Amino acid sequence: MSLTRAELQDAARKAFGETGLAPDAEQSWALIADLGWLMMSVPEALEGLGLGAVAAGAIHSEFGRVLMPGPAIAQMLAIEALAAADTLAVRDELIARAMAGEVMTASLSGAVDGRLTCVPDADRASQFLIVSDARVSLMPRADAGMKVTPRETWDRTRRLFDVTFEHNADGLVLAEGAAALALAERLRAQLLFALAGDSLGGADAILQLTVDYLMVRRQFDRPLAMFQALKHRVADMKTVLSATEALFWARASAPAPSLADMGALKANATTVYRAIAEEAVQLHGGIGLTMEHHCHLFLKRAMLNCALGGDADRWEEAAGRQMLAQAVA
Amino acid sequence: MTEALEKLRQEVRTWLEANAPRNWRETCTSHEAFLDTQRSWFAKLVEGGYGVPHWPAEWPGGGRSLAEQKVIYEEFARADTPRLLLSFMSTYHAASTLFEWGSEAQQRKYIPRILQGEIWCQGFSEPNAGSDLAGLRTRAERRGDVYVVNGQKLWSTMGQFADKCLLLVRTSDERAKQAGLTYLLLDLKTKGVTARPIRQIHGDEEFAELFLDDVEVPVEDRLGKEGQGWAVAQSTLSSERGLTLLELSARLRGSLWRLAALIRDAGREADPGVLRDFGRLATKIDATVAIADQFLATRIAGEERVGDASLVKLTYSRTLRDFTSLGIRLGGMEAQYHAPIVFGGGMETGNWMADFMNSYAWTIAGGSDEIQRNIIAERLLGMPREPKNWTLAGDVA
Repeated sequence: MSLTRAELQDAARKAFGETGLAPDAEQSWALIADLGWLMMSVPEALEGLGLGAVAAGAIHSEFGRVLMPGPAIAQMLAIEALAAADTLAVRDELIARAMAGEVMTASLSGAVDGRLTCVPDADRASQFLIVSDARVSLMPRADAGMKVTPRETWDRTRRLFDVTFEHNADGLVLAEGAAALALAERLRAQLLFALAGDSLGGADAILQLTVDYLMVRRQFDRPLAMFQALKHRVADMKTVLSATEALFWARASAPAPSLADMGALKANATTVYRAIAEEAVQLHGGIGLTMEHHCHLFLKRAMLNCALGGDADRWEEAAGRQMLAQAVA
Repeated sequence: MTEALEKLRQEVRTWLEANAPRNWRETCTSHEAFLDTQRSWFAKLVEGGYGVPHWPAEWPGGGRSLAEQKVIYEEFARADTPRLLLSFMSTYHAASTLFEWGSEAQQRKYIPRILQGEIWCQGFSEPNAGSDLAGLRTRAERRGDVYVVNGQKLWSTMGQFADKCLLLVRTSDERAKQAGLTYLLLDLKTKGVTARPIRQIHGDEEFAELFLDDVEVPVEDRLGKEGQGWAVAQSTLSSERGLTLLELSARLRGSLWRLAALIRDAGREADPGVLRDFGRLATKIDATVAIADQFLATRIAGEERVGDASLVKLTYSRTLRDFTSLGIRLGGMEAQYHAPIVFGGGMETGNWMADFMNSYAWTIAGGSDEIQRNIIAERLLGMPREPKNWTLAGDVA
């Protein structure tokens, strides 16, 4: 099966174009499952769509564009981990349930200590993915000894939780040893890639809303969009966004991007998102600092995306170290 | 596909090992040495079939796909060959304008000479027509079979060494200012032409001023119709913004080792601040390469929008500024001691102050960053132009 980037984008915009920004969580989750987007990168042998990173990138970017709630990124990580567990007897059944929308969640923190923080929609999840370099496992929801603590974030488009398990149970082991290390690395790269896509979609949407606003808002007998001081700021945003988008698609189809490559991409994309969302509030003036307008939703999601998955300091340093080792005359 | 490219890469690499000029960075400290190196290197490239990979297939050396061109440029950057500064305007600006607008006779006359080393420069800007190019005032008056040209041109890259000039002149003051322009092909050996080099802030003289005093240009050397000059000039300008940036961004990527060497020499391999800035820059360079790639793919597919080229140029110019800036910072006091420049050394020579100052060539020349921002805002984002009329206090529009 093959779908172009443009076809996926069209499908997503048709599906979510009507619902507006930050759509209803339950309805949109059902729609995501119906449209088959959770099976995007699942191999066809496992009843998935077998589409690659470019397709996943298109979907995450569309989710970012509409400020999609829900655990889509975490769910895709759980599904990816399950798909790698070749010898697991219940694998196919679990994947089928996950693709149908049964919530299986994971941490988006990017931390490597195996603690479960920043877990979206943990209150309605049936399974929890636990990733460490030594072991990747799936922990079922337990009636006793499990603690799910809601952590209210400034960003209200996502719902994050801390999760602890009292009994040090193993859960369902998906990978161990060298296989776990490789899988953990791949899952981290996918998380970073998904956050980058989400950020670029969001950045594009809020930039467009800002341009629209400048076109209609009139002061001094002319639209604000006529002032060169503002046009140049908008043009700079468009330029950094376009370059980062080009990098995103280049890395999506690169043969073997390293974790540092994906981290640097995520750092770049979230920094651009944050900068555009900050400018958007400023350029909207008074209305931008009210809850009535959507600006703040983008700003808060952008800030959260900066913090999730490891921040720009960490990934820029990693990219610098990698380039220092590679760049030899 | 990938296999064929890998084969080409090996071919180019082997060819470069045998043919790439060596030690030119040490020897190119005079204009004479620079000209020698540039001429012989271009001749060698043409002979080897790598001089004009971006030309259409019907011309010798042309017909390379986008992917093949990229491989060739990457290998040039890797082998640190001299950039083709002297023949740059000839193989890009002159050639692509001739391909698009030249009659068959004009193409047959001028294109083969480019391969033989004829040098073209561009006569567009004037002292009072920089960003407002269409306001240029150099006049051409038709007298029988010739145009008689009077005026002054500025920022002609390599103008003092050139044989021919792509000349934009005013043939009419009626109607819109763009509609009064005409495009001529000027032989710089014609009586009445004086070229004077301009010394730039880093010490090189890459540009010249041209003075035109009753210069006669045969009517047959007009490109397009009279009054069509603005449209013809657009193909000249877009050739620079498109293809060139593919090569330049590959060169920038290939020059990261210079900064890496500085970091190692200064013993700052573990300095997180330095590593972050270096990592951020490397990522920005990858993004610059990616947007240049994407732009060319879009152009080849015939889907280019007005303003796309501006995105690439603005991305490159800012990234180059960041690159040279980090070089100065890491170079510390050492970068402040004056070192002679390498003529034709390209945008990244490791002479950091010189490179930094030279990077202004990209934020100002070929349409300044500010003009690119206007184009992006107005053409890509649909924001309105500023009103044309203006008043000073007391004046009436």
